[in-house]
Amino acid sequence: MIKEKGWNRLLTRLLFTGPTLFAFVTVMIVPFLYGIYLTFTNWDGISTTQSYVGFQNYGEVFRDAVFWKSFGLTLQYVFFSVVLINAVAFALAYVLTKGLKGQSIFRAGFFLPNLVGGIVLGFIWQFIFSNVLVYFGQQAGIPIFSASWLADPDKAFWSLVIVTVWQYAGYMMVIYVAGLMGVPNDILEAASIDGANGWTKLRRMVLPLMVPSFIVCIFLSLQRTFMVYDVNLALTKGGPFKSTEMVSMHVYGKAFLSRDYGVGQAEALVLFVLVAAITLIQVYFSKKLEVEA
Amino acid sequence: MKRRSRTSILIVSLLVIMVLSACGNAANNGQEAGGSSSGGDGVKVTLLNSKGEIQQPLEEAAKAFSASNPDITVEVSLVPAGQSPFERASTLYASGNPATITMLDTGDVEKFKDRVLDLSGEKWMADTVPNATEHTTFDGKNYAFPLAIEGYGFIYNKKVLDEAVGGDFDPSTIRTRDDLENLFKQIEATGKKALVISPMDWSLGAHYLPLAYATQSKDLAEVDQFIASLRAGEVDLANNAPFNGLMDTFDLMMAHNIDSASPLAGTYERGPELLGKGEVGIWFMGNWAWPQISSFDTADGQYGFLPVPISNNPEDFGNSEISSAVSKRLVIDKEFSSPEQQAAAKKFLEWLVYDEQGQDYLVNKANIIPAFSNITIPAADPLGKSIQEHIAAGKTQQSMSTLPADHWAQLGSSMQKYLAKAGDRAGLITEIENYWKNVK
Repeated sequence: MIKEKGWNRLLTRLLFTGPTLFAFVTVMIVPFLYGIYLTFTNWDGISTTQSYVGFQNYGEVFRDAVFWKSFGLTLQYVFFSVVLINAVAFALAYVLTKGLKGQSIFRAGFFLPNLVGGIVLGFIWQFIFSNVLVYFGQQAGIPIFSASWLADPDKAFWSLVIVTVWQYAGYMMVIYVAGLMGVPNDILEAASIDGANGWTKLRRMVLPLMVPSFIVCIFLSLQRTFMVYDVNLALTKGGPFKSTEMVSMHVYGKAFLSRDYGVGQAEALVLFVLVAAITLIQVYFSKKLEVEA
Repeated sequence: MKRRSRTSILIVSLLVIMVLSACGNAANNGQEAGGSSSGGDGVKVTLLNSKGEIQQPLEEAAKAFSASNPDITVEVSLVPAGQSPFERASTLYASGNPATITMLDTGDVEKFKDRVLDLSGEKWMADTVPNATEHTTFDGKNYAFPLAIEGYGFIYNKKVLDEAVGGDFDPSTIRTRDDLENLFKQIEATGKKALVISPMDWSLGAHYLPLAYATQSKDLAEVDQFIASLRAGEVDLANNAPFNGLMDTFDLMMAHNIDSASPLAGTYERGPELLGKGEVGIWFMGNWAWPQISSFDTADGQYGFLPVPISNNPEDFGNSEISSAVSKRLVIDKEFSSPEQQAAAKKFLEWLVYDEQGQDYLVNKANIIPAFSNITIPAADPLGKSIQEHIAAGKTQQSMSTLPADHWAQLGSSMQKYLAKAGDRAGLITEIENYWKNVK
């Protein structure tokens, strides 16, 4: 193609990126900036007037003890979920690339929960935790299952973790399967000839070569679990007595339930900055672990 | 080459423009269609319903209304489960697409007053029951149509209670906490459970706890005064008699609760099932629960309300009064609706109050207790009847309908904590007092 200059070049580029750029600006950038503007007002979500309040809303964010408490809870939830999701997903992927009979059916089966929306999934598991398990627990006399898990703060937390792991493990498994298939066979064969056993091969060859998959999976699971809302809403509604209220839910409640749109929006922004920082740090440091085959 | 690329750019950009403008046209067409339809072939009025249980009767009423007013169609949509009417309505306003008529909770109306029509001049204003429009009147203008009177208290299954007392149960014999405890024991003596406490935050936070505010005084101005001092942090709840009385009754309820082993595990659906099947005698809930109770009914439709006693003195205010108030309000949008739509919406409201068909849908199909004195059809279900009887006898207290928007969620969860014995009364009092000090 002949090199174009100036306007022509800009036009050509705009032609191809323009529509996407337009969509991106209107649905992402504009609301984001408008949201930042709203953090400086005392809007309640409906009134036709609003006044400028400066940084008052941000002060309120730092005084809102419940926000920080639910942020702490979310950190715990993210930690356990991310570790378990990736451990389970990798184990599944490892087993399902060994050439088992019917492994594609298993892969599809484990991936399936990811196709179910979070709300539906939450309701299904709510039924399992408060009816099915309780029924079997009472029939069989197993004390841990005879009362609903969702009625106890600690068990409700673990129910959330379990459902999240179940939901995302299959998705991450698919990424790990792709990563495992991408590990070149020649180096594995060479290692076998040199006398490496399965464990050594996994630790010295496969894992280092799969760092890119790990980066993607950990990034995705971090970001999704931090922003969890639908499962939280459908499974526990933040209960019992707000003990499982994750930070997104708190922010939503602040903005729409307590009708403190400015503070809610400010909390959302603080949350955005924190999550962005955590995920960027994760990507930056794990990039350093990447190796060449 | 250069020319060709220019031509292709031109063509592609033309295409893009066409696509974009096509979208624009479609949107314009839609608006025009909406506008023109209001003139020529009929007006379309939308109604956002926030009472899920009356969705079907409302749709039928809308059809019947259109049948007698062929130039108007009413389309009813429903606030999704789990969302509050305020959330839904404010989202619709933010997207510039609100319903013509929106059903709001009483306390929400004030927030919308700049966006909705002043209805003070409507015909039905003259026929409202007392206390129907006070909470939606600002600067002398009433902005909302009072849709329904709702009441709550202890719903009893008469069959179970007849068996417990060995004869015909008379609700007026329960006037104190001791009477109630005695009744609980009598029910338990028949091998059934006394009551079920449904542990939803809205039930505990919006209905049970506010009884403590409403029973402070018979005089509504004094109740307002009490709320004001709560906000100012001047109330000592630990030594407040109505509050402690109410919580003592709650302790009694907890002790006789069928779910006392796992008090937070219950769901709303469990309540009507247990009560309707007669596995418990009493359930704390309101008349909106009738459709669910009736689907399990084993007592030939014999149910009624008992007040929640707050002391052992039968003369105390609250011991013989059940809580009731006008609870749902209809407002008409003035920002996005055409004058024709507004007029049609007003006509629909008038139809509900004055047309026999409208009244029939309201009372008999939707099981609503109307807030208009000209409607003389008696309530269609036993719970509604029980409330009407209490109203007629003057045995009601005003429900708290203008509490802060997050009161039910915040203090509902504090009540759940108390119910699950994860916190004591001192902790509950601290949480209530702190909530009121910080609320906006």
